[in-house]
Amino acid sequence: MNLFREIYQSIVRRDSLSTDKGKSELVFLNVWLHIHPAKVKKEHMKFRHTFYLGFVTFFLFLILVTTGIVLMVYYRPFPPQAYQDMKDLEFVVFMGPFLRAMHRWSAHAMVVCVFLHMCRVFYTGSYKKPRQFNWVVGVMLLLLTLGLSFTGYLLPWDQLAYWAITVGSNIGSYAPLVGGQLREWLLGGHSVGEAALVRFYVLHVAVLPSAIILLTIVHLWRVRKDGGLSRPVWTLKKDKPQDLVTIGAPVGAAALKTSAASPSKTYGLMEVVTGKPIFETITPEEEEDTVFSYPYAFVREAVALMVTVTGIMMVSLFFHAPLEELANPAKTPNPAKAPWYFLGLQELVSHSAMLGGVVAPALMVLALLAIPYIDRNPSRRISDRKWAIWLFTIFVVANLILIVVGTFFRGPGWALVPPWVHVVAGAE
Amino acid sequence: MNRRAFFKISWGSVGIASLVSALGVSFAAILRFLKPDVFYEPPQAFKIGTPGDFPFGAPTFLVEEKIFIFRDRDKGFSAASAVCTHLGCTVAHFQSDQKFHCPCHGSVFAADGSAQHGPAPRSLDWFEVTQARDGQLRVDKNKIVPPTYRLMV
Repeated sequence: MNLFREIYQSIVRRDSLSTDKGKSELVFLNVWLHIHPAKVKKEHMKFRHTFYLGFVTFFLFLILVTTGIVLMVYYRPFPPQAYQDMKDLEFVVFMGPFLRAMHRWSAHAMVVCVFLHMCRVFYTGSYKKPRQFNWVVGVMLLLLTLGLSFTGYLLPWDQLAYWAITVGSNIGSYAPLVGGQLREWLLGGHSVGEAALVRFYVLHVAVLPSAIILLTIVHLWRVRKDGGLSRPVWTLKKDKPQDLVTIGAPVGAAALKTSAASPSKTYGLMEVVTGKPIFETITPEEEEDTVFSYPYAFVREAVALMVTVTGIMMVSLFFHAPLEELANPAKTPNPAKAPWYFLGLQELVSHSAMLGGVVAPALMVLALLAIPYIDRNPSRRISDRKWAIWLFTIFVVANLILIVVGTFFRGPGWALVPPWVHVVAGAE
Repeated sequence: MNRRAFFKISWGSVGIASLVSALGVSFAAILRFLKPDVFYEPPQAFKIGTPGDFPFGAPTFLVEEKIFIFRDRDKGFSAASAVCTHLGCTVAHFQSDQKFHCPCHGSVFAADGSAQHGPAPRSLDWFEVTQARDGQLRVDKNKIVPPTYRLMV
C-alpha cells in the first residue's frame, strides 16, 4: 500500500485538502492555473463583454488539431492518391465523413470567429495602450488562420480544391517584381501540381500550426500581463481617465497606479521591490471584484467549449464536407472561385488585377496592423470614438459586401447572377 | 577607452556579426533550398506529333499542355496558350466568333489572342513552333513569339 500511496503523492503533490495549505496548493501547484490566471475579475466573465469569441476560436483550433491529426492517418499528399484517400474517408473509413466534416466546418468557423473576435476587440477599444502590439499579434494570427485554411483547401485534390488554389495563387502572382517568383516558390512548379500539394501539406500540418501555436502563446501571455481582459466598456467612468494597465510603462505614459501595502495581505519579495512594478498592481477594492477561476471561470469556459464542440458536431452530422470530382487541370469549372474568404479579393481582382489583387489587400493588412498606432485617441468610450468606429464599420461592411457578391452573385463567366436564378453553364 | 572595454566591444561585435551572418546565410540557404530545382510536370518544350495529325480550320486543343494548335492552309502552324492571363483558368476557343473565352471571369480574347473584354491584363501568349529532325512539330513554351508567327511546313 505504501507504494500506491507514494505513486499517488508523486502525482498529486499538494497536502490534503483538509488543510489550508492543501487548499492553497490545489491552486498554486496546478499548471493549468499557472497558464490560466488563478483569479479573474468578475466583469471579465460577462458574456456581453467578449461573447467568449477568443475562447471559441481557441477551442475551434483544438478541434482542428484533433481532427486534423486523425485525418492525417488516412492521407497521402500526392495526386491522385490524395483524392482516393478522400473517397476512402467519405465512403469506407469509420466516422470518416463526420471527422472530415468537423475539420472542414471548424476551419470555416475559425475564420469567422477570428474575424468577429477582431471586431469585438476593435469596438471595445481593447487594442489601446499598452495592448497595441497584442493587436498586431492578433492580426498575424488572423493571417495565419487564413493561410491554414487556404493550404488545407488544396489537400482533397478535387476540382474545387484545384481551381480555388489555381485562382488564389494567381492572385498572389500579381505582386510586382516578386509575384511570379513567389508563386513558383510556393507551388514548387509553374502550375498547381504534385509539388504544390506536398508544399501545401507541409505548410498545413507543420509550418503554419507551429507558427500559430507560438503566436497564440504570446497573444495569451500578453493578455495576462496586461491584467487580463480589458474592462467592459460599460464600466468606464465618465470622470475617470481610463488608462489601461501599466506594464513596463514607457516614459511619458500615464502614471502607474500604486497602492499602499494592505495589512491583511501577505506579500512576496517581488511585490515589495521599489520602483516600477512589472506586473499590474491591484488595489484592494479591485481585489474585491475578483473570484477564483476554479470553478467560476472554468465552468463558463467549459460551457463555451461544449457549445463550440456540440455546435460543430451538429453541423457536421447534417452537412457533409464538399467533395467534387478529381482535379482536372484541363477542365475549368465555370465559374472558378477561390475559397469564400478570398472571394472579396477575387471580386476586386475581377475589376482590376493590380489594384484589387495587390494594392487593396496590402493596404488592408497594413491598415489593420497600424490601427493601434494611428488611433491616438486614449478613450475607449464609444461616444468618444465615433470616427474610428465609423471607419472600421465601413471596412467590415465593405468586406462583407464584396464576399457576399463574390459568393452568391457571381455566375458563369463571373457575370452578375442573383442566387435565385439558376444558370445552366454552357461549355462551348 | 581602456583595454578591457575595447576587447569587450570588439569581441562582442565579432560575436554578434558572426551570429547574424550565420543566421542570415542559413535563412538564405533555406529559401534557396525551397526554390524548386526539379519539376515534376510536363516539360516546357515538347513534341506534339507530325503535321498531318492536325486538321485545318478549327484549332486542336492539347489537354496536358494547355495549348491550341492552329493550322492555316496558306500560312501554316501556330500555337496559342490556353491559360488565361488573368488568373490561370483554361480558356475555350469558340468556332462561332473565332475568339477565346475564359469561363472564370469572363475575359474574351480576339482571334490573335489580344485581350478584348473582362479583367485579363494582357493578351494570350503564342509559342514558337518548329519542326524537329524526325518531322514532328515541336512547341517551346519558353519562347514567346508574336501572334503573327507561323511555321510553314
